[in-house]
Amino acid sequence: MSLVVAGAVVRRGAFTLNAEFEAPAQGITVVFGPSGAGKSMLLSMVAGLHRLEVGKVSLGGRVLEDVAARVRVATHQRGIGLVFQDARLFPHLSVRGNLLYAERRRPAHRNTPIVDDIAEQLDISGLLDRAVRNLSGGEKSRVALARAVLSAPELLLLDEPFAALDGKRRRAFLAMLRDLSVKTSLPMMVVTHQIEDAAELADHVVALKDGKVIAHGSASGVMRRQEFVSLLDRRDLGSRIDANAVAGVRPGGGVWVRADSVILATERPKGLSARNVWQGHIASIHMEADGSALVSLATEPGYISSRITPEALAELHLKEGAQVWAVVKTHSL
Amino acid sequence: MLSAEEWQILGTSLGVAGRAVIFSLPIAIAFAYALSRPRFPGKSVLDGVAHLPLVLPPVLIGFLLLLTFGRRGPVGSWLEATFGIHLAFTAEGAALATAVMAFPLMVRAIRLSFEASDGGLFEAAAVLRAGAWDRFMSVALPLAWPGVLAGAVTAFAAGLGEFGAVITFASNVPGETQTLPLAIYSALQVPGGEALALRLAGISMFAAVAGLVVAEMIQRWARRRLET
Repeated sequence: MSLVVAGAVVRRGAFTLNAEFEAPAQGITVVFGPSGAGKSMLLSMVAGLHRLEVGKVSLGGRVLEDVAARVRVATHQRGIGLVFQDARLFPHLSVRGNLLYAERRRPAHRNTPIVDDIAEQLDISGLLDRAVRNLSGGEKSRVALARAVLSAPELLLLDEPFAALDGKRRRAFLAMLRDLSVKTSLPMMVVTHQIEDAAELADHVVALKDGKVIAHGSASGVMRRQEFVSLLDRRDLGSRIDANAVAGVRPGGGVWVRADSVILATERPKGLSARNVWQGHIASIHMEADGSALVSLATEPGYISSRITPEALAELHLKEGAQVWAVVKTHSL
Repeated sequence: MLSAEEWQILGTSLGVAGRAVIFSLPIAIAFAYALSRPRFPGKSVLDGVAHLPLVLPPVLIGFLLLLTFGRRGPVGSWLEATFGIHLAFTAEGAALATAVMAFPLMVRAIRLSFEASDGGLFEAAAVLRAGAWDRFMSVALPLAWPGVLAGAVTAFAAGLGEFGAVITFASNVPGETQTLPLAIYSALQVPGGEALALRLAGISMFAAVAGLVVAEMIQRWARRRLET
């Protein structure tokens, strides 16, 4: 089963979104791109909130919209959930009322999630009788997520619902999303413009730029491609490593290792506090405009980039094919 | 405090205004909701129709009602033949005339309230599998109901004072269609009736102001309740 978007065009004012991709409807697909790339619009299009001008959208073989065949399934009949960035909880209902709103409207045969279970899992059991206006930003996001899960969609779209959260609470929310995705096996499509979030969540990636899909496929594959890397700021350049290969981080998902946080050594380092030391070979050396060198290494957990100064490059006599050790501090991840 | 006659007049007024609001409210809600939607064909025509009673002379409205709902009018003769209902010169007729006159007031208040509600919440309802009617009943109406109630109360208060359309269509029958303003008018036609007119004017003013205060209180309370 997969989500297929073929030759889809949506226009809003001066902005046009052109989408062509296929994403397996399992695990987490991250929609990645800079602000204004059309990520939210892509989700709205899949949910049926924006009408296609041309093209076709189908989920698991079921046509949701096909302009040529004059087919258009209304939003409420698509069975696709959407968690908005601004939560959009109903202000005239309590937290419980909001959750029951979703539960009462789901088809009887999709009755798996139970209000109390989901509330417990998302840590909102204590909020059920509260009025929506008295919730904090993080609480609102979790209630909105719980409400969407309780409507038992076939695909859950999330429009960066953690945008308002910072640091620790953001990480906790992302971890919760991953857990939820595994436990409920509910396929998700998550928008983000933060590379760490993308690396942590993504099984698959759809990369957007200026209203166009520029790359899509498995996270490990797409996040190495030049089209994807071109979306990143200079200081964000780096590589995605499988989290299971990294000491000191939560297993599952991926970790983004910034090139600036990787130290290179020509001999096996000893007596280091850093927990992650990988041996590898230099695959390529790319000189940047300011003279820095971006060194790409083939290591056991995968390709890793390291940015070093021209002086270091000369001093260590680094060349393609040379054996090196990459050192990464867990706290820099 | 009030004489039997005054009670009767007040009772007639309350009955006429009350019925006028109850029967026109669903139609006003439908109009207001339609007008709060983005553009659709015929929207400006609908808007014009809803506001017509505001700009036409009340006597003309009464006359038009008489032509349409009078015994020989197309709708009036049908109503009489089918259901045996007379509207002209009856309390029901007074309520109809009052309803037509108060209609724009209701539509305005309710429409503002629909327009003020966050369209994003309808999208949120749609992705939770709520269809159009469901969204209207479960989100739009509950969010707008303070405006609905305020519109109804304002229309009720204004309805107590409707004169021209009522006297033209329903006439001035004591105990049947003689509402407060009509009674004041009658009292002023009689020599020495000023005292009664003054008392009735006091009652009328009190009722109207009470209505406005209630409407304002509902609005304030609701605004606090729906804050996010």
